[in-house]
Amino acid sequence: MKTKILLAVIFFVSAVFGQSIGKDHSKLPVECKTCHACDQPTKRNPCLVPCPREEMITIHMNPEDSPDVITIDQFKGQSDLYSKVVFSHRLHAEMSGMSGGCAMCHHYNPPGNVISCVDCHEKERKRADITKPDLKGAYHRQCLECHREWSTDTGCESCHAQKVKPGSPEPKISKSERKERVHPKIIEPTKKVYKTDDYENGTLVTFYHNEHTALFGLECSSCHKNETCAKCHSQFEKVAEAEPSFEKQHERCASCHDTDNCESCHTTKELPPFDHGKATGFILKTYHADLSCSKCHKSSKTFTGLNKNCVNCHEPWSAETFDHKVTGVILDETHTEFECENCHVESYSVKPTCDMCHEAEISFPKKIPGKRIK
Amino acid sequence: MAKQSRRNFLKTAAAVGATATGMSVLSPKKAEAAPENILSVDRMGVLVDTTVCIGCRRCEWACKQAHDLPAGNIESYNDEATFDKKRRPDDTALTVVNKYPTENKPHVPTYLKVQCMHCDKPACVSACIVGAFSKKENGSVVWDGSKCIGCRYCMVACPFQIPAFEFEKALEPKIMKCDFCFERTKEGKLPACVDICPVETLTYGKRSDLIQLAEERLKLYPDRYKNKIFGETEVGGTSWLYLASNDFQKMDFPKLGAAPAPGVSESIQHGIFAYFIPPVAFYALLGGIMYITKNKDKSEEE
Ligand code: SF4
Ligand code: SF4
Ligand code: SF4
Repeated sequence: MKTKILLAVIFFVSAVFGQSIGKDHSKLPVECKTCHACDQPTKRNPCLVPCPREEMITIHMNPEDSPDVITIDQFKGQSDLYSKVVFSHRLHAEMSGMSGGCAMCHHYNPPGNVISCVDCHEKERKRADITKPDLKGAYHRQCLECHREWSTDTGCESCHAQKVKPGSPEPKISKSERKERVHPKIIEPTKKVYKTDDYENGTLVTFYHNEHTALFGLECSSCHKNETCAKCHSQFEKVAEAEPSFEKQHERCASCHDTDNCESCHTTKELPPFDHGKATGFILKTYHADLSCSKCHKSSKTFTGLNKNCVNCHEPWSAETFDHKVTGVILDETHTEFECENCHVESYSVKPTCDMCHEAEISFPKKIPGKRIK
Repeated sequence: MAKQSRRNFLKTAAAVGATATGMSVLSPKKAEAAPENILSVDRMGVLVDTTVCIGCRRCEWACKQAHDLPAGNIESYNDEATFDKKRRPDDTALTVVNKYPTENKPHVPTYLKVQCMHCDKPACVSACIVGAFSKKENGSVVWDGSKCIGCRYCMVACPFQIPAFEFEKALEPKIMKCDFCFERTKEGKLPACVDICPVETLTYGKRSDLIQLAEERLKLYPDRYKNKIFGETEVGGTSWLYLASNDFQKMDFPKLGAAPAPGVSESIQHGIFAYFIPPVAFYALLGGIMYITKNKDKSEEE
């Protein structure tokens, strides 16, 4: 009997805990107290800290995996002025990529499922908890915060049709039309040359945008974290903004590059595209050309003293363990017998000459000690 | 003009005067609002977050609808040209929305809804010699047409120039001002403007909660707002409170101290009644004092 009770207790406790500390929750790099007021929040009583909270907790998802279109008709019957909104969710998800991503709208969303707005924002405007806007206010604030910035049109009809008589017109843009709308592909610049007249020793900074994405493999959002729609879509002329601080100006580059040596970026002439061979003396061919920079350069900013010695990155090897095939040459029977150093006299980064054993005309690369496969 | 008989008027006036002198005996330094004007700790208010207002003017429309004023077609409120000149609330519109440039975001205008502030120490209440104005328990400052004698002292006294007079009307002209939708809130409904606002620029709640909410917002978003809750202390505090990213004085808000505006006029006015100085002499004197007080406010502004 006792064991049964004990088992029941264990079961009960684990059920409660299983609910309260979800798998995903425990992985969050935030203090529980950011969202929960009590020590042991449960599903039934999550004791949430009122919004707005100091920290944003959110989920991340690919726009492709998100719903195409969402129909907002929560206020049916509550107001007879306007009809429902057909919201092109996926289009907006794509657009948000460079301006904070999902978090732009889905703030304070613990990992797991996306919680809908109505889970936090009350439908009734007359309510006890006024710390966060009601549902209607929340929707409108989200939409209009951006819309009013890139367009002066805050007219109700740009999102929902006015109801003249109950049951009459449908929204201007139908669901299927909305579904098809996607953000046109953003055309990426190749090169940008910034004038930095303030710095006399080098008044030009050449920035190869394409290298950073294609060569260094950065995502758009690695740098563009907080762009507003208005950055591209503003209908107004750009106004001169106040000069940002030195730190702010260098912030983006400095997140990867060492900015101590000004002249490495500020030059008197436009710089040619990056060439690993010219810049370092180590030409990237075959295998190395395909690698991402960070495969060898493990830490950004500081140069760790990498040189051309293979053992910088590769495990030391011996003739027994090394499969010569990976170099593109399968050694013939005779040559497999030698020690590595018999041919690679100086270093592995220098191609071997064969004159230690052979006549000059039988030397590499005219003659190959086996079969070339690449 | 007035519905009130002369006898009744004198009776009320004497009562108002007597009670007020009673009050000033208890607190000789500062005169409080008349005793029937309770200042409940649970009084309601509205927090106006001008940084989210989109200038749709639906609040104007709803306000008129709720007060049987000609409201017109809702679409006519989309006309941008309305913002070309600054408007004031008047007898045809108890609230108006004006447009100002935003300091830190030049392309996103700031819209500002104006109406009665529902002061905690209302100058209109003090100025009204017949007690037609009163501050209600829920925070509203309302006007009672059956008591009004049409002297229009309230108009002069109000630091926000809110009460308007129906000059057009020959018969029974009324003082018109936002009444915080007293009739609606009595029925448990929200004020009409609060109810319709699409972005909830207007948050209705207990004044103390609203101040807490406003302080929280100022703390969390210091870049978004000027560090100021207008109405928290102005003229002794108001039920309607404002947050903005602009300087309030640049949006035609008067620069006001924390001292209640009616302080001066009230004690003198009630004092006069206590000694039964004839109403005519009183009118002249009070008018003069109002004038001086107003000009004093003005010179403080400059
Ligand atoms: S307060 Fe609300 S209803 Fe009034 S103009 Fe602003 S957004 Fe529109
Ligand atoms: S704003 Fe003017 S009318 Fe409104 S309560 Fe204050 S003094 Fe009275
Ligand atoms: S509270 Fe009522 S009377 Fe005052 S402005 Fe709003 S709708 Fe008009």
